Amino acid sequence: MSERSNSFFRYLAYVIELILTFILCTTPGLLPEIFGAKPALVVCVALTVAVFEREIPAMIIGLLAGILTDLGYTDSIGIFAISLTIICFIVGYAANNLIVAKFFNYLLYAFVAVGLLFMIYFLVIFVIPGTEHMWDYFVAHIVSRMVQTFLFSIPFYFINHFIYSTLSPEAG
Amino acid sequence: MKEFFQSPKIKIFLSVLLVLIMLSVFTRNVENNVISATFNTLTYGMSKVTAAATSDNSDNKSYDELKKENEELKTANRDLRSRLVDYYEVKEENTRLWMFYELKKEHEDYTLIPATVLRRDTNDEFGSFTIDKGTESAVSVGDPVMGENGLIGWISEADVYTAKVVTILSPQTSIGAIDKATGDAGIITGSAKYADDNLTMLSKLTSENKIEKGDIITSSGSSGIYPKGMVLGEVTEIGYDTYDTSRYAVVKPYDDISTVVNVAVISDFKGQGEILKKESGD
Repeated sequence: MSERSNSFFRYLAYVIELILTFILCTTPGLLPEIFGAKPALVVCVALTVAVFEREIPAMIIGLLAGILTDLGYTDSIGIFAISLTIICFIVGYAANNLIVAKFFNYLLYAFVAVGLLFMIYFLVIFVIPGTEHMWDYFVAHIVSRMVQTFLFSIPFYFINHFIYSTLSPEAG
Repeated sequence: MKEFFQSPKIKIFLSVLLVLIMLSVFTRNVENNVISATFNTLTYGMSKVTAAATSDNSDNKSYDELKKENEELKTANRDLRSRLVDYYEVKEENTRLWMFYELKKEHEDYTLIPATVLRRDTNDEFGSFTIDKGTESAVSVGDPVMGENGLIGWISEADVYTAKVVTILSPQTSIGAIDKATGDAGIITGSAKYADDNLTMLSKLTSENKIEKGDIITSSGSSGIYPKGMVLGEVTEIGYDTYDTSRYAVVKPYDDISTVVNVAVISDFKGQGEILKKESGD
């Protein structure tokens, strides 16, 4: 396959991944809740793609994932779209220029990125409006979602590593 | 690093971010906007299919079953609504009675009749009102009427089920009163000058009085109409009557008489009418 077609199929694979994870997350009764939350699988896809791709493709995948997450829940583009765009751009840059994304380095990226993403979400949605009992919500739902998202991103790392190595420009 | 910040990548990134922020503002402020509508249209079919695939068929009910369930829910709702009304009435009654519980504990000789303000006389600028208790509840003309924090008026007319209260803001009122701190005596009577501000007057003070701002004024009980020691208010100002050269004090009742809702009528107390009886016996 040519370099161009490799890239096309790779990005197509990412988009299909995003759509499938979005369906998995949003279809009622499909994924069970564990400790009061479900993992944000779309975020897992975006982060794992970001560590393999360069800044701009990483940013675009982050943007798509963020828009899907936002519109899927709130009917408006907002916190996830903006945060994921920024985080994926930074991860894409860092993984290519600062710390190469081997598996253990990826865990570090995922830990920081997932933590940052949900802390921004909690800050904007709960802390700034001064929601009552916000820390109860944080302990009961946000922590669980952060941990699950982090853990579920590990299989996606291997899936996307496989896609990237099979359909990378060099492979062509 | 410096090169990175000057590269086209960062410009693209910042442009995308700017567009995103604008879209965010747009989608938040415009209801049924194009972006959300497009997204919903695109995902509608997908959601229908996945929802149908995962739906639990045990929830499917026939029209008759749903209709029956709806009727049952309506009946239950009606019952709950009625209970809620009862609950609020009991709660209100409880609050009202609790308010006078302390007073009753302090003055065991008082016979208190809790009452609620039914209506206010809009033509009377001295705050008179009608309560929901009358002669059937042993309310009689002349009985003192208490607010939450002190004496606020007296019964001027009593029907079987209602009674009219003239307040201490009215010039019709005349209650023997005393300054708790100095022992100076006077007459509590309303004044058109002060009534609008929820104030009344302690008049007929001697020129040697030592009344000061902040002193608490209570009933003296000298006439046998009002019990002794009932709080009437606090002195806020001391004045001089230019007509008869006597002095007076402006007194602020502790209750806002124009808004009071729950009151208690003192239908009997120790020493009631004793002085009047003595006077008529003489």
